[in-house]
Amino acid sequence: MENFENILERSKMLSFDLNFEYARNWKSKEASRVILGYTPIYFPREIVHAVNGLSVGIFGSGDRKQIIKGDAFYQSYICHIPRGIIEMVLDGNMKSFDGFVFPSICDVMRNLSGIFKIQKKGKFVKYLDYPQNFNPEIGGTFYIQEMKHILEYIFEINNVKLTTENLNNSIRLFNKNRQLIKAIYDLRREFPWRITYEELYHIIRAGTVITVEEHNEMLEGVLDFLNNEKGEPLDKIKVIIYGAFCEQPPVGLIKTIELAGCYIIDDDLVLGSRWIQGDIKDDTDDPLKALSEAYLKNSTFSSSMYDVNNPKGERLVKLAKDSKADGIIFAAPSFCDPALLDIPQLQQACDKHDIRHIMFQFSENTGQFKVIKEQVGAFSDSIKLWV
Amino acid sequence: MKEKSIYTFGIDVGGSYIKAVLLSYSDNPVIVDKISEKLRKRDPSKLSDDMVNLILERNGLTFDDISYLASTGEGEMVNRKTGHFYSMTTHSKGGLFFNSDVLTVVDMGALYVRAIKINNQGRVLDYKMTGQCASGSGQFIENISRYLGLAIEEVGDISLGSKNPETPSGICAVLAETDVINMVSRGISTPNIIKGIHLSIANRVVKLLSSLKAESPIMLTGGMALNKGMVQAIKELSAESKYEWEIYSSPDSIFAGAIGAAMWSGFRYQLLKSNKGSIPNKIKG
Repeated sequence: MENFENILERSKMLSFDLNFEYARNWKSKEASRVILGYTPIYFPREIVHAVNGLSVGIFGSGDRKQIIKGDAFYQSYICHIPRGIIEMVLDGNMKSFDGFVFPSICDVMRNLSGIFKIQKKGKFVKYLDYPQNFNPEIGGTFYIQEMKHILEYIFEINNVKLTTENLNNSIRLFNKNRQLIKAIYDLRREFPWRITYEELYHIIRAGTVITVEEHNEMLEGVLDFLNNEKGEPLDKIKVIIYGAFCEQPPVGLIKTIELAGCYIIDDDLVLGSRWIQGDIKDDTDDPLKALSEAYLKNSTFSSSMYDVNNPKGERLVKLAKDSKADGIIFAAPSFCDPALLDIPQLQQACDKHDIRHIMFQFSENTGQFKVIKEQVGAFSDSIKLWV
Repeated sequence: MKEKSIYTFGIDVGGSYIKAVLLSYSDNPVIVDKISEKLRKRDPSKLSDDMVNLILERNGLTFDDISYLASTGEGEMVNRKTGHFYSMTTHSKGGLFFNSDVLTVVDMGALYVRAIKINNQGRVLDYKMTGQCASGSGQFIENISRYLGLAIEEVGDISLGSKNPETPSGICAVLAETDVINMVSRGISTPNIIKGIHLSIANRVVKLLSSLKAESPIMLTGGMALNKGMVQAIKELSAESKYEWEIYSSPDSIFAGAIGAAMWSGFRYQLLKSNKGSIPNKIKG
C-alpha cells in the first residue's frame, strides 16, 4: 500500500493540475477512451465510467492562474469560478476533453455552458438539468432521459454501448469510493488532528481528476494511516464550513481557518464526491433507474438543490449535532446567489438550536486572509471561553 | 491536603519579540517568571521552545508540571502548545490583569494598533484596528529610530524633551520616512522628529478610540506602550480632543498578550477538567 506522504504529495499535485495531465495520459492509452469535464456540484460519474470514460471535475483555476480573457465574459458582479474556467479552456488546458457537462446549479453555470457552445469547445456540451419533481415516475424518468442523452453523446465518440453489467460494476466501484470517503470523514470527526483538513481536501479533490479505481486505492491508504496515526490533539473547536459547494476557497483560507483555532470536521467542498448518501443498488436490471432513485431519495442537501419537503436548515442542524460540531462557519463565494440567499434561513435554524455561527465571503483567488483570521480566531475563542 | 498548583504558560509571538510568561493560576494569579526575546530572524518555534525550557529550568519545574500552554499572536508555530488564543482575547485579559477596572485595551504592537472594548471579565465587546499601513505601528518607530541612530529603548525619553515637534505624513510609512529624511536635512532636532512621529501614531490611536466610543479607564498594552513618549503623546492628543480618558500603561505591558494567554489557559484548563472527555489528552489525564 502506498504510504501516506506519497498519497498526499500526489493528491496535492493532481488536485491543482490545471492542465489535467493525468486525464490526458489516461486517454492516450486506448483509442476508445473519452474524457468528460463536469463542473460542480454533482454528476453521476458512474455512467461515464461504464462506457470507458473518465469524468474530470472542473473546479476553476483558484488562485493559480491570472485571469485576463475570463473577465471579458462576465460582469464584475458575477462570481469568480466561471472566469477561471473560461481562461483555462481558452488557453487550451482542456484540449484533450471530449465533452463538457454543466449540472444545473445556477444561472452563471447555465451561461457558462452557452459560452462553451459558442466557443465550440469539446465535441459536445450538455447543460444537465436535474429533476425538480421528486416523484420517480416524473422526475426520475426525466433524469434517466438526461443521463441517456449524455451516453448518446459519448457513444457517438467512442462507439461503446452501455451494458447493465458494466454500469453495475461502475456503481459498485463508486459505492466503494463513497464508503471510503465516509469512513475517513467519520474517523476524522472523532480525531481531526490525525490529518489536517487541508490534507483531506487535497485527497478528496484529487479523486475528481483520476480514475475511481486509483482513488479507491489512495483512500484505502489514507484510512489505514488514519487508523494507525495517533497524533497530538490541540485544544481547538470543531466546525463545519458551509457554502462553498461550487467555487472553492483558496487553500490558504482553509489553512487560515485551521490555524485560527478550528478543526474543520465537515464541509460542502467537493460535495459531489459525497452527494449520494449510502450505497446505490449495484445488482439491478436497470442501473440507470438505481442511479436516478439514489438522486431522488438519497441526495445530500445543498443550496442549489430544490428540496422543499426536507428543510436544509434542519438538515444542517442535524449534521452539526450528529458530528458534535461546536459551530458553523458559513463561507460563501462573493456573488454566489444560491449560497448567499440560503444562508439567512440556515442561520435562523442555527439560532433556533443555539448553534453558534459566523459568516464571511471569499473569492477563489482571495489572497489576504488577515481579516478572516481575526474573525475566525475571535469565533473560536468565544466558543472556548464564553460558555 | 494542599492542592497542586496550576501552572500555565502564555507564549506571545509578535512581529518583533516573543514573550513567554509562566503563571501560577488561581483566583489571584501570580506571574512566576517571564522573558521577552527579540526575534532577530530566528526560528520562532526553536526560540519559544528555548524560552519555555529556560523558564522551567530556573523555576525547578518540568513540562509535565504545566497544565496548559497557550500561544497567541502569530504563535501557530509554537511547539508543545495545548491551544491558541487570539490576540484580542489575550490582550484584553492581560489589560485587565494590570488594572481590573479597565474597560478599553489598546494593543500597540509592532505591526498594528488595535483598540478593544471589554467587559469586566475581559470579554471582547467591540474592536477597531489600524489598516495595513506600517506608519501606525511599532515597527515604523523602530525603523525611524534606526535611521536616526537611536536605540529603541531611548526614543521615549528623547521624545519627552521635544519643544517643537514636526509631524510627518501619517498616511504612508514610505512617505513618512521620506519626510523624516527631509527633516534631518532641514536641521530639525532629533527630539522634535521623534515626538512628531509619536504624535502621528497617537493621532491614529485617538481616532481609533474615538470611533470605538472607548470607555475609560484605558490600558495601553504591547511593546509600544513601554515607550513613554508614545504614551505621553496619546495623553496629550486625547486631552486636546477633550476626551477625559484615564490612560494607563504598565512596565509589563509588552507581556500583556502572554499574560492573557496564560490566564485564559488556566480558565480553559479548569473548564475542560470539569467537562471530562474534552480534548486535549493532557487535560483528560
